[in-house]
Amino acid sequence: MASGTRTVLDMRGIEKRFGDVKALGNVDFDLDAGEIHALLGVNGAGKSTLIKILSGVYTKDGGSILIGGVQHDLGTPRAAIEAGIAVVQQHPELVGDLTGAENIFLGHEGARPGLFGRIDRSGIAARAEALLSRFPIQIDLSRRVADMPAVDREIVAILHALRLENTRILILDEPTSTLTEREKASLFSMMRMLRAAGIAIVYITHRLEEVFEIADRFTVFRGGRNVACHTVTEARDKAISIPVLMLGTGEGLTFPPRMGRADGDVVLEAEGLTAAGFANVGLTARKGEILGIFGLVGSGVDELSKALFGAIPSTGTLRLEGRDVRFRSPADALKAGIFLVPGDRRAEGLTLDENVIFNTVAANMSRASLGGLMRFGANRRAARELAQMVDLQPMRLDRALRGFSGGNQQKVVIARGLYRQAKCYIFVEPTVGVDIGARSRIYALMREISKDAAVIVMSSDCDEVHGVADRTLALYKGRPIEGATDRDQLLHAGIMGGIAA
Amino acid sequence: MISNRLFMRLLAFAALVAVIAAVFWSQNPAFLSGGNIRALMRHMSVQGLAALGLTFVIVVRHFDLSFPGVASMGAMTLGWLIASGAPFPAAIAGALAVGLVFGLVNGTLVARFGLPDIVTTIATGGLAVGFSYFYSNGTSISQNFFMSGILDLNDKRFLGLDMPFAILMAAAGMAAVVLHASRIGAGMYATGQNRVSARFAGIATRRLIVLAFALCGTMACLAITLLVASSGAANVTAGGQLLMPAFAAVYLGAALFGRPSVGATLAGTLMMSTMLNGFTLLAIPYYYSDAIVSTVLIAAIAIFDPRLSGLLTIRRKAAA
Repeated sequence: MASGTRTVLDMRGIEKRFGDVKALGNVDFDLDAGEIHALLGVNGAGKSTLIKILSGVYTKDGGSILIGGVQHDLGTPRAAIEAGIAVVQQHPELVGDLTGAENIFLGHEGARPGLFGRIDRSGIAARAEALLSRFPIQIDLSRRVADMPAVDREIVAILHALRLENTRILILDEPTSTLTEREKASLFSMMRMLRAAGIAIVYITHRLEEVFEIADRFTVFRGGRNVACHTVTEARDKAISIPVLMLGTGEGLTFPPRMGRADGDVVLEAEGLTAAGFANVGLTARKGEILGIFGLVGSGVDELSKALFGAIPSTGTLRLEGRDVRFRSPADALKAGIFLVPGDRRAEGLTLDENVIFNTVAANMSRASLGGLMRFGANRRAARELAQMVDLQPMRLDRALRGFSGGNQQKVVIARGLYRQAKCYIFVEPTVGVDIGARSRIYALMREISKDAAVIVMSSDCDEVHGVADRTLALYKGRPIEGATDRDQLLHAGIMGGIAA
Repeated sequence: MISNRLFMRLLAFAALVAVIAAVFWSQNPAFLSGGNIRALMRHMSVQGLAALGLTFVIVVRHFDLSFPGVASMGAMTLGWLIASGAPFPAAIAGALAVGLVFGLVNGTLVARFGLPDIVTTIATGGLAVGFSYFYSNGTSISQNFFMSGILDLNDKRFLGLDMPFAILMAAAGMAAVVLHASRIGAGMYATGQNRVSARFAGIATRRLIVLAFALCGTMACLAITLLVASSGAANVTAGGQLLMPAFAAVYLGAALFGRPSVGATLAGTLMMSTMLNGFTLLAIPYYYSDAIVSTVLIAAIAIFDPRLSGLLTIRRKAAA
């Protein structure tokens, strides 16, 4: 692909801050017409912030954006659409009861004027045909979207984004995450066709092998900066390692040293645990060690954590300190001594409009109150002590949680768990959206906690599970896979469902 | 920093009340007379009690549209008990029990069975209005009122305050302790802001929602008891006038102070009552009052809602 000849997008020195957090610092990013450009980086690296600026959801704090050589401000989604930028979200929102064609032209049906004007069905069909003649794809747009396979829904969403003639830049946010291998191949062939039609595609993915399969160039983000931009050929020739670029070498993750003992008292034991999302899981969590469970999104880890916490019903045996238990609610599990640091801390873990003190004591109201009345002084002291222990930044006990970065919000969830003084802590995706400095602190805290309690870590980040845990287990499509002895075996078990030879 | 912001809000509120009072006073100097201020405080007592009850339901992010109907039934129950010779404390207990039972039913339907709150409470409110006709086929009840002692609730004074206002202050004090200093209140705020995270923190969210509805029904019936005591008769339409002012007071207060709370509701009630009282003095016909209350409510929400004001600044920036 001839690059550098027809630049459609040129972003220079883009800056974006959220409160105290610098999401993007002096970022350059450019796109050529007719290229597939992969955008890579770990969670929180700044990819989605850049995309949101490009699609007009966020306004940039600084820098310039040239589209087709013309200065654009892109302050609103409408401005972005008018500039020729279209986004397909990770989980496109389509109306299941309408046909593919109706979804594509939703809101632009070309109805006769008036609220009760009849929708021009033949017109829609004709326009859908016209669209398909521009982009010849094998798809039946007269089917209901709810009846379509995942890849066809993805294609409908892409056609929806391309329905306007002026679309020059197409952003695909992890389109393959729900697709099978065969479906992925047909999505890729569509992408190649769009490339041939001169459309620039920004392709966000976490699957690095796809970069070499489909992309022409790639850009790596780390810590809110553009750290590398190479063509795929260049990367292949010079053997450039993308994971090293993504994680960095200088400020790599430091995992705390393992304890090296597996003889602690058994705290939590599960046998044949089954619920919606996973089946027949057995595990043992001991005091003094960290049990790691690696599983991709959709593998059942989230459901497993909720079943152990009594938030969803399950069958099978669960034993706490040798006694059979059955939790009918999170309140039951908390009472018994289980604490969950949930995967979605904003939706499940915190009360964002309340301050640090409130959030620290929320899971142990009996300790936080006396005769039903809140112990304001004691709670403030306890919250301060715990905030110091988890190294909250900034140390503002009266600030609402909304005003803290992801990593510090996570520290408050951990402080809440410490205030609860549980026997078994379950961490789910503990470092999603957490910057690298806070990550090391969180890993150290887990190790600290494991001295007095059992700790289970569940994550879709294989390096995290491997780095922090004493023993590991993989979950693949709801099925536990044991026996992985090193990182690569664990990765293979979680991604392919077996142990590599 | 936060107390600073609270101070600014208090200042803004005081200024607003002062401006409103000054306008009415300039039109009719009787507005600031002792007699009128006492009348205002009486009016505030009835509205304030209903609004305080509603505050709990709003804190757990639900709606109760049944309390006016429930209050009507409470009023008729009170009237019927007094007319049939029951001692007035027992009659009041009967009225409050009506509110409590309806509140528990509302809360159970909404929290346990997951029914939609608005439709459910419209229905239970309608049910309560229907029941209130049973006692006397809809005619108002005033037998025995003079003898029973219930009128003391309106006429007596306590620590220099008119009894209704003293009752409001006592109720507000208790509500403030529950909502702002107890684990019940902390749980209610947690439940209202994020049901899932509250459940994950082991908070009994359903029980707290039931409790909020129960408090709302009971306090609406306490409010109506004061109204019956002041008018000397119970009638089936008594509760109807509680609905708009209560919602207006809670939302106006929440808009002024950033979140629903006991203090915010009292401030909202004070403003609503001041305006209604002033318009009465200016001889503006009473049937306009609902329209005025509604307009103020919408205006207040529009001005103070952070998202709306945020939107306005973005527009301004975009225009610049």
